[in-house]
Amino acid sequence: MKHFTILIKYDFVKRIRSYTFLITLCASLAIAYTFVPAPGACYSTISISDYVGEYNSAWLGYVSAMMSSILLSLMGFYLVNGEIQKDKSTRVGQIMAATQIRNSKYLFAKVISNFLLLLTILGIIFSMNIALFFMYGHDYSFELVHFIKPYLVLTVPAIFFIAVLSLVFEVVFGKYTILQNVVFFFCFTSLLVYKPKTELGFALDVFGDKIVANHLEEKVSILNGSDQQERLNIGYTINKGNANKKFTFSGFNFPTSFLVSRILWVCLGFVLILGITPLFHRFNIQAAPANDKKLKNSLESKFSKGNITLNNLPTIKPNFGILPLVKMELLMLLRKGKRWLWSVNILGMGALCFLPMDIAHKIVLPILWFLQVHRLSDLMTKDKAHDVHYLSSSSKSPIKRLLNAQLIAAIILLSVLSSPLVIRQILILNNVLAAVSILLGSVFLVLLSALMGLVSKGKKLFELTFFLMTYANINAISFLDYFGGLKIGISQSLTIIALCSVILPLVYIMRNWNLKRS
Amino acid sequence: MGLVVNGILIVHHETNSVHHSFFHFISHSKTFEKIINPIQMELAIQNVSKKYKKNKYGLKDFSLTIEKGILGLLGPNGAGKSTLLKMIATINKPTEGVICLNKNNIVKDPDYMRQQLGFLPQDFGVYPNLNAIEFLSYIAAMKGVGGLGLKQKINRLLEGLNLNDVAQKPIGSYSGGMKQRIGIAQVLLNDPKVVIFDEPTVGLDPEERVQFRNLISDLANDCVVILSSHIVSDIDSIADKVAVMKDGGLMAYHNPDELIALVNGMVYETMISKEELPEFKSNHLVVSTSRKGAQIAVRYITRNGNQPTHRKKANLEDAYLYLTKKHRA
Repeated sequence: MKHFTILIKYDFVKRIRSYTFLITLCASLAIAYTFVPAPGACYSTISISDYVGEYNSAWLGYVSAMMSSILLSLMGFYLVNGEIQKDKSTRVGQIMAATQIRNSKYLFAKVISNFLLLLTILGIIFSMNIALFFMYGHDYSFELVHFIKPYLVLTVPAIFFIAVLSLVFEVVFGKYTILQNVVFFFCFTSLLVYKPKTELGFALDVFGDKIVANHLEEKVSILNGSDQQERLNIGYTINKGNANKKFTFSGFNFPTSFLVSRILWVCLGFVLILGITPLFHRFNIQAAPANDKKLKNSLESKFSKGNITLNNLPTIKPNFGILPLVKMELLMLLRKGKRWLWSVNILGMGALCFLPMDIAHKIVLPILWFLQVHRLSDLMTKDKAHDVHYLSSSSKSPIKRLLNAQLIAAIILLSVLSSPLVIRQILILNNVLAAVSILLGSVFLVLLSALMGLVSKGKKLFELTFFLMTYANINAISFLDYFGGLKIGISQSLTIIALCSVILPLVYIMRNWNLKRS
Repeated sequence: MGLVVNGILIVHHETNSVHHSFFHFISHSKTFEKIINPIQMELAIQNVSKKYKKNKYGLKDFSLTIEKGILGLLGPNGAGKSTLLKMIATINKPTEGVICLNKNNIVKDPDYMRQQLGFLPQDFGVYPNLNAIEFLSYIAAMKGVGGLGLKQKINRLLEGLNLNDVAQKPIGSYSGGMKQRIGIAQVLLNDPKVVIFDEPTVGLDPEERVQFRNLISDLANDCVVILSSHIVSDIDSIADKVAVMKDGGLMAYHNPDELIALVNGMVYETMISKEELPEFKSNHLVVSTSRKGAQIAVRYITRNGNQPTHRKKANLEDAYLYLTKKHRA
């Protein structure tokens, strides 16, 4: 047990000292600050019809717990995902594999470390919301139980399950990170739109927020005297001024069946870990060259059988053009991931050709681009991740040539993927502005991925942001429409151009700064 | 066959790399002075310091002039070898001082060095989903070399390094030694005039190391080769000059024979029991120990010539240990 605790402790310590954790923590705090809008703010996060709760302990506690449950489930997955891969790349995994530790113990240690990490963030969000209560809720008394109860019942089991799920996905899908992202995306969105009405239905909701939402909806329906239940809106909604009506929410007594279901979710987590234990590779994932005759021969023959005569090597010419680099960068983008995944891209391009324009532009395009997340997310960091950065840093004009080539190659990739839609917009609808919006969207996306990669020195920040953006795009949230799916017009295009003009110099500055510190 | 242009001899072999300098001259006539003189290559490191934090230096007031041939760079971990190599490779910039290649300040004009640099870093990595030809084409594009000869050159290099059979396989499936050979191939892509090898023999077996040493000797006819290694025997047999570094400074810079001469008559060997070894180690600078039956043969260095033991012929490893742990002798 002592060894197990030490394993968790140092895994946890290693992770909270990472740059990614710091960035996620800052982002979580910034987002958590917006969970409960200030009185008079022009937006709302949770509202029922045109009602919002009075700013008492119960409203602030439950609203922030529900929002945390959803946000941390999403961000948390990306934050804690990839830990086995990290052990593999740092080669600590091989050391671990040579010890007596059992697979189940290793996986449990990872899950608990994942959970502790998310719990740390939750603890900070929780403290922040209490502070917000003292800022906003001057007229009400502070009741700690209204803060603790929803967090304990809703959020804690939810983040535990996410801690488990991220590990399960990593073990089951292995190196297919794109599959992990896609499957999680669909699970997450399905759960968000899931609208249960029965006790069993509430029990199946891992976020746990549906039961509270249902209670709030019923309460407002009674206030309105309406026969039909009002719908709760969760998410950021822009109001015109402070038009919302107020109602008093005094907390909620969770039914016993629901409380049992929360415990069962935690138990299910443990069962899942035990279930995937036989699938865990225990870092025995070396490619087996022995099956390949040529590779085997080469391993055995060594380079002493070859002979390099320097004077006989052909003459080469200087070629400082950017084109060969663009070509090679494009090749690397195409090569990323498994070949069969390209069939999904081709299907997506086919859908852009034949589906109704509205669906193709608003839904298929952002999903098709999101499927390239693994290609875009390490655009700026792949050389460091693969230890090629010393070569790129000492190459001729790395900013002017290599950086530009990387950006151009990624823009070409996204543009080619969206080309059926662009062609349709121009040839069939004669809508050049829509085509321009799509192309600008691809430029914006590439620049955003570059900037986020350079700032965070990793992939996760962009992966998470891209996920949120895609989710918002599919749900028709116009604020995050970067490709003209919802609103095509000069002002939208100009906004994207302005954003690109701000991001582009930042990318150059950051890349230059990173190069100097490589 | 040679051609004299403004006093600089441009040797025109049919196939060798100097030919490339000539093309470079033609296409960059404004920078004529910057053309690499195939006869004289000089890399001057002048009073270079790299300061990390307050009073924390990676390199301090370091000066060294390197000419054509092989420079072996020795030093314990943390001596500043990698810091120095990264600055020569223009990856890092010195906090103070200048580095000049053929009188061109490469701190201000890093591209001058980059055009003629071949660098094999210690942590050399590859893109695993590219094959050898694609990866070398990518590095060639980064280095700014191309033309019709590039494909042929890549094929010849892969052939010479015995990788042509697996050239179409993803590099991710290669062994450590094969990846290291890819690293060697990328160094030679641009006909470099300054070649830096940081721990190049890691991953190579003894047979491959011999072949690699021959290759370096071949390279040194035309280039400045800087070879950093912990394996003294790698440097001993091929280096024209050896620089020993410690704590960010230069301890010694001589040819191997001159360095060995520093410890001539100071290396001894004695037989002691296992129990005596800890005390012996605390009083002497021990180079090596080996078991001989129940006894232990200890090779050590001492300035005190009055030893009741066998005097041994000194080698470069003795000299290196003496220079870096002098106080204990």
